[in-house]
Amino acid sequence: MSDLIQVEHLTKDYGKGRGVFDVSFGVSAGEAFGFLGPNGAGKTTTMRHLMGFVRPDSGRVRIAGMDCFADARRVQEKVGYLPGELSLAGNMTGDGFLRFVASMKHVRDSARCRALCDRFEVDRKNRIRKMSKGQKQKIGLVCTFLGDPEVYLLDEPTSGLDPLMQGRFLELLEEEKARGKTILLSSHMFEEVERVCTRTAMLRAGRIAAIEQVQALRGAQNRVFTLRFETEKAALLFADGLTGAARNGCVVTACVQGSVDSFLKRAACYPVADLQVRSQTLEERFLHYYGGEEQ
Amino acid sequence: MSLTLFRREVRAHWVLALVFAAVMTLYGSMIVSMFDPKLGESLAMMAESMPQIFAAFNMTDPGATLTEFLANYLYGFLFVVLPMVAILILAAGLVAGHVDKGSMAYLLASPHTRAGIVWTQAAVLFSFTLLLCAWAFGLCTAAAQLMFPGELDLEHFALLNVGLLGLHVFFGGLAFLCSCLFNETRLAAGIAAGLCVLFVLIQMLSQVGDTFDWLRLCTPLTLFDTDGLLAGDSGAIGRLLILYGWGSSMYCLGAVAFSRRDLPL
Repeated sequence: MSDLIQVEHLTKDYGKGRGVFDVSFGVSAGEAFGFLGPNGAGKTTTMRHLMGFVRPDSGRVRIAGMDCFADARRVQEKVGYLPGELSLAGNMTGDGFLRFVASMKHVRDSARCRALCDRFEVDRKNRIRKMSKGQKQKIGLVCTFLGDPEVYLLDEPTSGLDPLMQGRFLELLEEEKARGKTILLSSHMFEEVERVCTRTAMLRAGRIAAIEQVQALRGAQNRVFTLRFETEKAALLFADGLTGAARNGCVVTACVQGSVDSFLKRAACYPVADLQVRSQTLEERFLHYYGGEEQ
Repeated sequence: MSLTLFRREVRAHWVLALVFAAVMTLYGSMIVSMFDPKLGESLAMMAESMPQIFAAFNMTDPGATLTEFLANYLYGFLFVVLPMVAILILAAGLVAGHVDKGSMAYLLASPHTRAGIVWTQAAVLFSFTLLLCAWAFGLCTAAAQLMFPGELDLEHFALLNVGLLGLHVFFGGLAFLCSCLFNETRLAAGIAAGLCVLFVLIQMLSQVGDTFDWLRLCTPLTLFDTDGLLAGDSGAIGRLLILYGWGSSMYCLGAVAFSRRDLPL
């Protein structure tokens, strides 16, 4: 089956190790595909190629069989794009800008735009220059979705949004996916990709480290516990023989994979003064998932 | 081409046009009102007392007729430099400005070719240029008819204005080319403005005396030959066509370069 989005051996070298190198992946029609990686991994560079802003040094980038640079006009008829760094016309009002974008995209029906604005509680009256980062991001989101395109290219779409709006946005994405839209979602947060996407590529230093089913990654979820004990002796005893634990005075930091039951029961044997838990960062997850391979 | 984008740019820049048109109106009507065949004599005396300064601003010969007077005092310097500044400001914003700010991403994230977008911007710049030159012509004609009915040689004065438009098409082409080539507004505006100012300075210097006369071969402003155009000289018209040719070539070159290059969006 031929993919709707095809990236074949894409290489763009910006020097000093920046850029993307031999990136290949495909996204089939109706699929939601994640694009995970820390900042500077090459997510945005790949998106720029898909938008036809830059030409590959080598390799091919196509959407619906059309070259993204040479056929940019026809590709854009199918694509809704949200840039990673928003830059909207500052001296226009929210409403003015949305109408301008709709007109540029030849979108005549404003019903969808209005529905989106209501959904995200978009401030349409103020000048964009005076808006907060979150408000601007919401305007950007509406611009992306108002044309009801087939393909969405979303570059870190939830940055700047508050948790409530993040939730609403992910709901919208799930709806669009159910309507058969193709989604490429770039993010540095696994949680976002996990909720919407079925497969995800992981980028690192401009290369694809792996393409995995999201389900498989979920199993490898780790937590980092930081425990402070009442006495140094307790900390010493607790940390002794515990794999993946590091002690500093009364404080023990440990990475726990899978079930936390036995870990918590072990900790309960000692006098605990404080406990903090966080999910692994993507960077840590990478290191864990690929072991020493990435050194 | 996108009519939506054209309208949006016009709306964003009409104040700039208005401000420059107003300044041109001020100077234009002032200079026309200063015309006085007798005043010409006293100006000639002043010019004799400080010939270099008058020569630098292309004002050696005050001219016996109103048409010559305007050609010397407005079309030698003021109407060259004022629209030039406006064109430089506008051109830098139209392409490099959008790339620099990142708003070009929004323009390209629409079903238009890059050529379509960039030619729309070129059309905005040209319309603006045409407008300012038409304003210069209309203003002087109206002021002359009002204050000195029948004095203006309309036919040759019109040709002079076609020449002025040619010069500004050249400046516009240069500024547009720079705007298409560079990613930063500052760089695009700086290089275009630097070249234009240099051309003007070279011309001023070349007029001061015979020592620097050869410098006139180093500036495209020489191709706008006010005396020749007023005389209806075919050589002057030929040089004017070269100016138009250079200007439009640079517009095309800019559009092609922009359509092909990588953009940092």
